[in-house]
Amino acid sequence: MGMAVSVLGISGSPHRHGNTETLLDAFLDGAENAGASVEKVVLKELDYAPCRGCNACHKTGVCIVKDDAPPLFDRIFSVDCIAVASPIYSMGITAELKGLIDRAQYIWARKFVLKNLYFPNEHIQHHKGIFISTAGLSWDNVFDAAFPAITAFFNTLGFEYYDNIIANNMDQYNGIHGHPTALREAYEKGQQVVRVIEDLKA
Amino acid sequence: MPVKVLAFAGSPRRHGNSETLLDWVLDGMRREPGVEVEKVVLVDADVNPCRGCNACETLNKCVQRDGMDYLHDRIIDADVIILAAPIFCMGICSQAKALIDRFQVFRSRKYVLKLPIVPPERKGKRLGIFLSTAGQNWDHVFEGAVPSVKCFFHVIEVKDKDIHYLMVNGVDEKGAILNHPTARQDAERLAREVITEIRARLAG
Repeated sequence: MGMAVSVLGISGSPHRHGNTETLLDAFLDGAENAGASVEKVVLKELDYAPCRGCNACHKTGVCIVKDDAPPLFDRIFSVDCIAVASPIYSMGITAELKGLIDRAQYIWARKFVLKNLYFPNEHIQHHKGIFISTAGLSWDNVFDAAFPAITAFFNTLGFEYYDNIIANNMDQYNGIHGHPTALREAYEKGQQVVRVIEDLKA
Repeated sequence: MPVKVLAFAGSPRRHGNSETLLDWVLDGMRREPGVEVEKVVLVDADVNPCRGCNACETLNKCVQRDGMDYLHDRIIDADVIILAAPIFCMGICSQAKALIDRFQVFRSRKYVLKLPIVPPERKGKRLGIFLSTAGQNWDHVFEGAVPSVKCFFHVIEVKDKDIHYLMVNGVDEKGAILNHPTARQDAERLAREVITEIRARLAG
């Protein structure tokens, strides 16, 4: 047996143990059941500022803001799979998650401005990113405006955007526990992605 | 009665491209007689993110005490509301998203409690402007931001057809917008058009 597959869940909801974090937990439970080592970070418990847009990182490749964000990016780079979770507020991801995503600017700068960071295709294939979300509204398009920022985030970090685990219409279902399939689907996708990464590593 | 304009500069970078675009619009509006302009710089305005507690669905107010206490009545009173924000990582910057999410109190008032946002005689007499800039020059770079911007305006009784957009891509480094061939004229024209339109609405 090689090293266990490592999975990091990042919960972007300000609301503890709500619909989105519960869906993330189901995914992480499935991953753990399949043998992965699993950790979860709750963004609202971290201390990080939004990106200042100062572009200092375009010259240095490091962020001048010293808080909990850069160590979290170090953790992200140490795992095989990240599950990024946010509810939909006002047709987009939360300010907490967007705040973290914007802080990845220094990594983007290393790739595209300074050109001292490069993820080969094989690295990207071996690192899977999953977006987990819930929305109160029933509209089919309620997640659409979240995807571009999530796509940009996974691209910047060198993770393949592997899958979405999304459930709308929470208001109608009276929350995630009332949804007929979402929690089971999340658990099964957690198991499945760990097996896929195991096969890739083998 | 003067036309009241309330403008949010949503960028964390002071006097950068999106704020410059906003200043051109506001300068154009100030040149018109009888226009009162208030500009709010979001990074100095102490607006925290929404906590998602849903208390506003019953209380009709937010449980957080911060800069939104000051802004709440101004948002209601304004005839023209402007949001200026840059695109970071294919979405609106997180500072502006925090403001948008704090409009949940208006959403609860309108859709849950079914109470008026503005008095009936002011319905249809509010206009919105979204100003944005992006470093990337892709046409679709603003697509992730617009749905949230629409929410921001809908919940304060600015209808879809009454939202004006000026979104300039391909401007990244500070000051890049100064070299844009049309942005300044477009901003000044937009200022005139919106003030003319709101005057007609208020008179009607």
